[in-house]
Amino acid sequence: MSLLEGFAVAAQPMYLLFALGGVLVGTAVGVLPGIGPAMTVALLMPLTYSLEPTAAIIVFAGIYYGGMYGGSTTSILLNTPGESSSIVTALEGNKMAKAGRGAAALATAAVGSFIAGTIATVLLSFVAPYVAAFAVQIGPVEYVALMVVAFLTVGALLGSSVLRGLASLALGLFIATMGFDSLTAQQRYTFGSPFLADGIDVVLVAVALFAVGEALYVASRLRHGPIKVIPVTGGWTKWMRKEDWRRSWRPWLRGTFIGFPVGTIPAGGADVATFLSYASERKLAKGARKKQFGKGAIEGVAGPEAANNAAAAGVLVPLLTLGIPTTATAAMLLVAFQRYQIPVGPQLFENDSALVWALIASLYVGNLMLLVLNLPLVGIWVKILQIPRPYLYAGILVFAALGAFSVNFTPIDVIILLILGILGFFMRRFGYPVAPMVVGLILGPIFENQLRRSLAISQGDPVALVSSPIAAVIYVVLIIIFVLSFWMRKRQSALEAETAADLEDDVDDGTGTPRASAAQGGPDADGTSGTASAAPGDPVEPADPGAAAGVSGAESTPGPDIVSGGAHSGASSTKNRKESP
Amino acid sequence: MSTSISSPAGSGTTAAPGRPIGELIFALMVISIGVVGFVAGASIQTPPSASDIGPKAFPYLVSGMLVLVGTGLVIQLLRGGTGVPEEGEDVDPNIATDWATVGKLAGFVLLHSFLIVPLGWPIAAAVLFFGAAWSLGARPWFRNLITAIVLALVLQFVFAGLLGVSLPAGFLEGFGVFGG
Repeated sequence: MSLLEGFAVAAQPMYLLFALGGVLVGTAVGVLPGIGPAMTVALLMPLTYSLEPTAAIIVFAGIYYGGMYGGSTTSILLNTPGESSSIVTALEGNKMAKAGRGAAALATAAVGSFIAGTIATVLLSFVAPYVAAFAVQIGPVEYVALMVVAFLTVGALLGSSVLRGLASLALGLFIATMGFDSLTAQQRYTFGSPFLADGIDVVLVAVALFAVGEALYVASRLRHGPIKVIPVTGGWTKWMRKEDWRRSWRPWLRGTFIGFPVGTIPAGGADVATFLSYASERKLAKGARKKQFGKGAIEGVAGPEAANNAAAAGVLVPLLTLGIPTTATAAMLLVAFQRYQIPVGPQLFENDSALVWALIASLYVGNLMLLVLNLPLVGIWVKILQIPRPYLYAGILVFAALGAFSVNFTPIDVIILLILGILGFFMRRFGYPVAPMVVGLILGPIFENQLRRSLAISQGDPVALVSSPIAAVIYVVLIIIFVLSFWMRKRQSALEAETAADLEDDVDDGTGTPRASAAQGGPDADGTSGTASAAPGDPVEPADPGAAAGVSGAESTPGPDIVSGGAHSGASSTKNRKESP
Repeated sequence: MSTSISSPAGSGTTAAPGRPIGELIFALMVISIGVVGFVAGASIQTPPSASDIGPKAFPYLVSGMLVLVGTGLVIQLLRGGTGVPEEGEDVDPNIATDWATVGKLAGFVLLHSFLIVPLGWPIAAAVLFFGAAWSLGARPWFRNLITAIVLALVLQFVFAGLLGVSLPAGFLEGFGVFGG
């Protein structure tokens, strides 16, 4: 019933337009390197000044979903992935694209994302109210337990180094304590400065870390030269053959049912879901298809992409029912709610049910729009991918400055933005993930309040924090999550090493199967050997690299050049992996 | 074949010699923030009316976490466990850090912050875009300039004019469509 009312709101032409705008912006930023949905929502936070809550939340939800779709386009057509959750897609999708099967990879990613997104949104619609009804009954002690889980998983699991993730989290918590204490109105860590009396605004920190830090970091090691995009051939209606559909539908469904539950628990977000899906597809494949893994297996795109989108919907369960964000983008959505003084937590489904259901309904609508928009418009996304990088990063800086200035309309905030941006630069440089810092900053004050309430009830006895049965269960689950995720991380690095080793072998002997050598492009593809562009076994795709380049709109770059560029970046990314400890 | 791509072990170019020292300084900074947290936390007043653990406990908890984690990082670094720099499509891991560009970008953001009030947001934003694009290597300068002016005016129009974000319009003050 409530969902129908949500649809009634979301289907109003005005809101349909906002949803369309959101998914378009979301796809564009998903496609663009160096800029993701979390940064975009942070940059567009000024919208909350003028739009009413429903409109703004629909825009942000569209950006959230759109970013997921756009990321897959980048990882398939450009060798290095944009969203961390699409890295697995790059393993197979990029190989498919180099073998002339990019169109099929894009199509299976888009259709899979749609199916997974829709099923996962249905699951969200049914699961979330029950979780909320349960969550209303839990007290501060259980809340503290849930947030400890969120902190530790986000801090320890989002990055590659546990200690660096926890350091990032602690820095966020520290900034969160600055300013007036909400319970006693005491000043904390303001160092006598009136600018720090209200604390440092979350949006300022998020924009600084995501946007300025990223721009400075990329500027320090900007990849020069033309942007090499692998061309896509043929009309989009012929992209997937019967064989592709037959091989894709099971991975889509499996990916959905792996992704959604993983998204709901704070276990590292979509990354883990895509990896699990990829690993299971690899395991389930038989015979010749199994050999294809690492060289462009369509199952390895279909499953992880579905899992990615399903996890994105799953992340909304803890966000909307408990007020606990487990990814950077979810954290920014929470900030958007806070801007409107809408408390996010178990009461959300009761107090603001119209808004929540309009949001969920807009997810269905947005998913459909994304499917309809993505395939026919791929030419536009490819163009966006080729924006000159100086303009892209200069634009990001201007938007960041705009976002910072509009927090309090004082230039001091732009200076604070710069300082925090430099911090973000060094964090990236030294391998500290920035997302835990933002999550810590947002959840810190809520955590402190719940902690103090718990201890006030127990009259200062800390044992009360673990003696509640539900809290005890939550802590046990935390330990299980940790054990599981370390095991998965081990498997993931083993798998990456294996794939990298495969690639090295192929490059070294240079006499692999036709498909394999096409996937590598051949290290000597210097313009004279334009043979390695499409596998001979692909009757539908034109094998002429020149024609391929023409269709994609990749300016006047000749085909073989594109292939050789791809081969080089492929090799350098392999090197990356190998150098990482 | 190509030696440059098949010898990953030998090419330690990404690890600039200064990096471990930089990382060490960063880890020490984490510790020192924690120490500052304890020192400055001591002066937080606990009102006698406080019925709970008071406003001091949580800052102490966080400061303790910073000191512990920072110490762990220092130990890890001294044992040779350096961080993995973030990867990205536009990040070339094989080139040395371009400090000059980073410095120029930071300088233009700083300049922007000083220009907003006297000259208005559009001019300050155009200066930032022009300077940043130039620092990042965009040429020719007149195309950068035109792009910068158009972008600044569009943003001023959309955010101040349409969405009502009060950006100071500067020389555009009085034109209703640009807000102010």
